[in-house]
Amino acid sequence: METFDILCKLCPSFGVSGDEQEAAEAALKILAPYGEGTFDKKTGNAVFRRSGYDESKKTILLDAHIDEIGFVVTYITDDGFLKVAPVGGIDRRMLLASEVTVFGKQQVRGVITSTPPHLEDDNKKLPEVSDIYIDIGMTGEEARSIISLGDKACVVNSPVRLLGSRVSGKALDDRSGAAVLIKTVELLADKQLGVNVVLLLSSKEEIHGVGAMTGAFDISPDMAIAFDVSFAYTQGEDKEECGELSKGPMIGISPSLSRELSDALISCAKEKNIPYQLEIMNGRTGTNADMITVSKGGVRSVTVSIPEKYMHTPAEIVDIDDIDNTALLLAEFIGGLE
Amino acid sequence: MDILTELETLCGLNGISGDEGAVREYIISQIEGKCEYSIDPLGNIIAFCKGIKTPDKKLMISAHMDEVGFIVTYITDKGLIKFAPVGGVDPRIVFGKRVSIGKNGIVGVVGGKALHHLESDEKEKAVPFDKLYIDIGADSKEQAEKYVSLGDSVCFDNSFITMGDKIKSKAIDDRAGCAVMLDMIRQGVEYDTYFTFVVQEEIGLRGSTAAAYTVAPDYAIVLEATTAADIPASSDDKRVCELDKGAVVSFMDRSTMYDKELYQLAFDIGAQKGIPVQTKTMVAGGNDAGAIHKSRGGVRTCALSVPCRYLHSPSCVISKNDLQSVRALAGELSKRIFEL
Repeated sequence: METFDILCKLCPSFGVSGDEQEAAEAALKILAPYGEGTFDKKTGNAVFRRSGYDESKKTILLDAHIDEIGFVVTYITDDGFLKVAPVGGIDRRMLLASEVTVFGKQQVRGVITSTPPHLEDDNKKLPEVSDIYIDIGMTGEEARSIISLGDKACVVNSPVRLLGSRVSGKALDDRSGAAVLIKTVELLADKQLGVNVVLLLSSKEEIHGVGAMTGAFDISPDMAIAFDVSFAYTQGEDKEECGELSKGPMIGISPSLSRELSDALISCAKEKNIPYQLEIMNGRTGTNADMITVSKGGVRSVTVSIPEKYMHTPAEIVDIDDIDNTALLLAEFIGGLE
Repeated sequence: MDILTELETLCGLNGISGDEGAVREYIISQIEGKCEYSIDPLGNIIAFCKGIKTPDKKLMISAHMDEVGFIVTYITDKGLIKFAPVGGVDPRIVFGKRVSIGKNGIVGVVGGKALHHLESDEKEKAVPFDKLYIDIGADSKEQAEKYVSLGDSVCFDNSFITMGDKIKSKAIDDRAGCAVMLDMIRQGVEYDTYFTFVVQEEIGLRGSTAAAYTVAPDYAIVLEATTAADIPASSDDKRVCELDKGAVVSFMDRSTMYDKELYQLAFDIGAQKGIPVQTKTMVAGGNDAGAIHKSRGGVRTCALSVPCRYLHSPSCVISKNDLQSVRALAGELSKRIFEL
């Protein structure tokens, strides 16, 4: 499937941490022809085993988190407005006047409320998440019949194409990673492989990587790669802290990662002439690799990141070429494993 | 066409102040053959609707076609697009939004540094307009210039959705007024009436200034959307007006001290006809009445508004019932005004 079409199926699906089922099932549906996938209610993870799984072979775990940041409903006012708390790292700059979906007994649309400028003395100060309300246009009674405390909400913004091969939308963090996994499985469709390929579309990355912890334990892989988005340079950023959009996958090097795997990916990229960048970290990576490496008796792991601008906003931007090149690198790498 | 479908069509059109062409063309296509009209040098539509009766006084009913938005001011070497607000836009609502640029609707997003790299003081404050930019996916000035030019209009990307008996969209201010006027023209009027669809309200009531001069009315009714702050964050005395409480008729706002008799007439009609009417509980906002009521030797003016939450944002919210109330009240008032 075309990468943009994959993103159009994955990104609009609801998947706030703890409520990933809709997004996970959207991914499993695309993967269905290539193996066996299940959504695990215990962990909230979706696990997909590529056809030809063989107990005697080693297993490589490919992880991308399927959850996204959002909100959890903590209170409903008598006039039907919702108070919420953040789920994951919410950017206060993007809150006001954003459109949201609330995942209650049915999906309900709403907007994040703001005091209009006509009435505002200080329109420079950003509200905290604890200051905002979601307006769903309902009375208190109507709201309480559909929404319960603990229901989740996320910003609405389906993927849209920008110039060239760039795409913008919500939840590209980390449905871009999920798209890499899907593209890789497609590329490997008819190949005989020396290893089992198991995908972990993990839950709750945005809240401490809980899904990767439990998922990696259940899968017991021999090695793992965590695919997430990472910072792409834009105006105002420090170039030393960022990768660049459209320059290929960012292969992670860190004391917490397997240098052997990093080097193997770098060699593979060089050999196959696939563009890549390095992402040097000095300890924990802030990705699911942090959980997977210390799962059970330890798992050799590496990160590969897709450069992304405007992370944790509805305006996230990635380059489809980066997703495709990441999948290509991964397929070449796995194809070469014995 | 029903008034809600009309409103959806109107809100879907892009027309910031000074670039109302698309809205104007649509309105002309709807009134063609139903009334006489002319386009003045500023781009106002001045339509004359013949009624069953010809009164000895002139009535002008007015709504503005323009909406708030932005204008492209600069393109950086890296192909990022700098912009300035057109009309009053709250800088807190811009970051992270999707926008549409120029006639070809080039898609862009308003971005900035990643949250994770912000200094602590940057997390507290809205990014000022001069630090914001639009990213269209270009890597260089040359590439961006193929798609975007300085002076291009920028609008919020729109979704028109229903939330219970409420509607959410951009540009409800003041396509709601335009939709009501189109409905009145379609239904026909009892007395001869001038309908003006005016430009440039959001940058200082400029279109209405010229239109009121040209029409030279005795009475004017301004149809608008006005700030409703009936949200939990506002105390009861600061809510201005509330959704589902009916058409808003103000006694005073920041641009006008309204005609007392017309104000009273609007409430009397509401009581007689069972149309919900409310007033503003704060002296806030302003609209084309500010220009019209002091046109020439003075014009007796009132404003009927749809209460609207989150005015001047891509997420304006109104109640369908209030829109119907404004429509009903405007219809009645346009007859009874001649009995004064």
